[in-house]
Amino acid sequence: MSSGRFLDKSLKVDWFFLFLTLCLMVCGVLLVYSATNNEKVVFYETFWFRQIIYFVCGSAIAAGIVFLRLDWLKRMVVPMYVAALILLVVVLFFAGDVVKGAGRWIDLGIFKLQPSEFAKIAYLLTISYWLSRHPVSLFKLKSFVVPMLLFIVPFALVLKQPDLSTALVFIAVTYVGFFFAGLTLTDMFLLASPLLSVLFSHSQTTMFQVLWGLLICAVVFSLVRRRLPKILTVLFLVVNIFAGYASSMAWNMLQPHQQKRVNTFLDPMSDPLGDGYQVLQSLTAIGSGGLKGKGFGHGTQTNLAFLPEEHTDFIFSVLGEQFGFMGCAVILVLYFLFLWRATSTCKLFSDPFITLITMGASTIFLFHILVNIAMTIGLMPVTGLPLPFLSYGGSFALTCMVLVGAILCMRFQGHRQ
Amino acid sequence: MFNKSDNESVQNRNWNVLVYMTAVFVLFVILLFRLYSLQHTHYDENFQRSENNRLRRVELVAERGFIYDRNGEILVRNRPSYQIALQALNLPRKKAGRDSVFNALLHIVDKDGKRMFDSLSLDTAFQRTRWIKNRSIRILEDASPEQVSIIEEHSEKLPGVVTLIESRRAYPYGTLASHVLGYTSEISEEQLKLPEYENYSQGDRIGQKGLEQFYDQEFRGTNGVKVVEVNASGREISQVKGVDSKAPIPGLHLVSTIDLKLQKVAEEAIPDTARGALVAIDPRNGEILAMVSSPRLDPNIFSLKKRERNKGWAQVALDSLRPLTNRAISGTYPPASVFKLVTAGAGLEYGVLSEFKHYPKSCTGGFQYGARYQKCWGSHGNLNVVNAIRLSCDVFFYQAGLDIDMTRINEFGRRFGLGEKPLGVDIPGEKAGWLPDSVSFNLRNKRLGWRWARGLILNLSIGQGQIVTPLQQAVLVGSLATNKGVYRPHFMKELRDSEGNVVRKYEPEIVRSGKMKESTHRILMAAMDSVVNHPGGTGKRGRVPDIRVGAKTGSGEWKKGEKTHAWYAAVAPLDNPEIAVAVIMEAAGGGGAVSGPIARKVLMAYFGKEDKK
Repeated sequence: MSSGRFLDKSLKVDWFFLFLTLCLMVCGVLLVYSATNNEKVVFYETFWFRQIIYFVCGSAIAAGIVFLRLDWLKRMVVPMYVAALILLVVVLFFAGDVVKGAGRWIDLGIFKLQPSEFAKIAYLLTISYWLSRHPVSLFKLKSFVVPMLLFIVPFALVLKQPDLSTALVFIAVTYVGFFFAGLTLTDMFLLASPLLSVLFSHSQTTMFQVLWGLLICAVVFSLVRRRLPKILTVLFLVVNIFAGYASSMAWNMLQPHQQKRVNTFLDPMSDPLGDGYQVLQSLTAIGSGGLKGKGFGHGTQTNLAFLPEEHTDFIFSVLGEQFGFMGCAVILVLYFLFLWRATSTCKLFSDPFITLITMGASTIFLFHILVNIAMTIGLMPVTGLPLPFLSYGGSFALTCMVLVGAILCMRFQGHRQ
Repeated sequence: MFNKSDNESVQNRNWNVLVYMTAVFVLFVILLFRLYSLQHTHYDENFQRSENNRLRRVELVAERGFIYDRNGEILVRNRPSYQIALQALNLPRKKAGRDSVFNALLHIVDKDGKRMFDSLSLDTAFQRTRWIKNRSIRILEDASPEQVSIIEEHSEKLPGVVTLIESRRAYPYGTLASHVLGYTSEISEEQLKLPEYENYSQGDRIGQKGLEQFYDQEFRGTNGVKVVEVNASGREISQVKGVDSKAPIPGLHLVSTIDLKLQKVAEEAIPDTARGALVAIDPRNGEILAMVSSPRLDPNIFSLKKRERNKGWAQVALDSLRPLTNRAISGTYPPASVFKLVTAGAGLEYGVLSEFKHYPKSCTGGFQYGARYQKCWGSHGNLNVVNAIRLSCDVFFYQAGLDIDMTRINEFGRRFGLGEKPLGVDIPGEKAGWLPDSVSFNLRNKRLGWRWARGLILNLSIGQGQIVTPLQQAVLVGSLATNKGVYRPHFMKELRDSEGNVVRKYEPEIVRSGKMKESTHRILMAAMDSVVNHPGGTGKRGRVPDIRVGAKTGSGEWKKGEKTHAWYAAVAPLDNPEIAVAVIMEAAGGGGAVSGPIARKVLMAYFGKEDKK
């Protein structure tokens, strides 16, 4: 990968990565502008201007993070983790400005702090630090105890808010963390197999039953090949088979609004003016963009305000309508290059801490990108996850910039070592 | 940079990163495939849907046509009616916002300090906004201007609450000719299912009963439509020009045959407490000049708001006098002595009777037929046909009926509009009469086990046992007098469009032959004349100065011990008939005494005469 000067491994700063980030931020501001420009307010109160402010602040913070030394970072782990837990408890029991029926904010006067955003970063740091010193293995079940404890507390607190989608971010980070802390691809498959069991057996069609059968075969094959401890072998089999049958039970345990989300996800047309409204409008907006789009500022759905929350969660629909398939593809390519540069960072060093931080940060980005886009194009239920760099929102913009700063920091500080 | 001992784990890590990026690649490709399918494969349908999302069709309701009387006086017009309604798309999305609108509405009081909305119906309306998004949901029907101004005052607190103007029917003369005009109300669920209402939709106000129903299609006009560009809150941004925009075509105005002046006189002549009906018809072309059915109802109640409408409806629907029935066309009565004209006519037509024929048995107060003794209402002595009609002697007609036989009598009656076939008047609800003979009598009373007997002819020949409607009775005397055929009775004179051009004119149509021999006609006319103008005539109370009025009275027996139904059927002037009037007053007594003066008032008004007092 020494194709150009700006991809040179010996550079302390990945300029290409910075350039991609800048591109995405510019796209984000433009989209927020086009989604909200029909509101007549002074420019410093507009969404796009505020978004620029957030990005500038975020960039400043990221620039500061770059100069944090790795051993300082490692020393910050415990205070950060404890602070995150305290904030989560505070928002759960004391504060809570009710936005969309869920109390997720602490109002600090100048801006609203979202503890779960802070917790994402703190947890990434914590789990990376622990796993970098204590690799995990399925042959040593004890190695999982502390990571699981570290994971379960913030996870439960976020889930209790209730904020399912953010809670899922914690799972994703942990899962990828395990992958880079000693587990093999087969192990990863085994860990994910109960989830696949649930998915495949939820629908009672022949095709899915065959798929589930194949999955069980694959699980058995993997177990035999890995020669895991007997107890684990039995556990994986039982969990898989149980998950296959228990999906309906789990369904009943879901909260009504989550059940509803799944239902309208499966068939948005069933309630086009109610729950499926957002998805349907989003699909219409994206689909009506065609290959080339309707042009910047000419989106009928967004400019006539048919699209709900078009500047936050559904910003991708604005993109799809105004710039069409081309625009979407460009953004996806940008994201892919962004993730490639981010993950490449860790290849320069052998330090597992750097690996885990970069991969974890990339995973947070990836998870948001996938879930948000899949939601706007009707492949996943409507959750509240924003799209990195494109969605309007102060807290999340700061989170993104902190993560970008962390990735840059790994490269910068790695070279210093 | 790398330690040698790390080499293996580093290679492994790099391999894992590659796996990770491969997974990312695959997932992104899946997203791209889905986007391609949405934006290219299904582009057309999505584009169409987005266009529909932007453009909205707004229906423009056409103004309903008016009803005029024959001289151009307005009988039915429209009035503006204010509706307070909720528009789901303009209501706040959040529950708290909706609740505040709900509470604001609940606390609005009118000037008497009474709440304008009750929480139950308001709650129902708010519930409905959750699934009815494209229509407004009415929360206050037919609001007064005062109530509208109160709502407008609070409009800042009430996003999504709007005042709509609708056009409702107004009947300036209240109960006048209410049965003829009918009323309008919202289309019912049952009607929506019927094939004839297939281009109607829920919430349409349609004509019910009377002319409103019969000419509903004509009154309705054609609704227009305009295409507007709207935003997601349903607010109109601008009207899209050129696209599909269609102005509403107002409904046609109906010029009826009713003569308001005559109708007023007729309405005043029959008290509202009495049960009865009156039909005045022009026998030369079938135009109905006046039609009264008593007791009346006020069709305005159906245009009121729901609560008052229900109150009014309950009053008329539960009334034992049955004010909803139009007795003039749906009331079925025995024709009574008026039918003697038919019996006599048939006898003359078939040569059984003649001007000078006397029956051997003279009237001594009754007639012995087999074991039965049939009474007459007086003792009239030996009479010819003219005098028998003048005095309405039953004994003469018992003997005549037996001689002529029912088939001939019925045939003669059917020629002049009686019988089982409705005359086809242009308002719904017309009932048919019945002229029984041996076959139809047995058929009808099979279930009861009654058999035809020749003795029944005695009753039938004086008009007890048949069924006629007041309309048929008026048509009968009218067409007997003209001897030029029975014209279809009708109310529609012409239809005009909103500019006043005549769109359709009613063409008089002969529905029964209505002809008889000249000699028969002459004798019958002499008889009808004598009923009114000769001494001892039963209809002398219907006399009109300077006009030769012909008439026949009748007192229909319908229940033992009750007063008889009072019939009076008149036609004038006899030599050149212009108007025929039939009056029935239910259970009111003798025809000449009760109904005669009523018919006379109508005839006096028609000929512009005034009583000198």
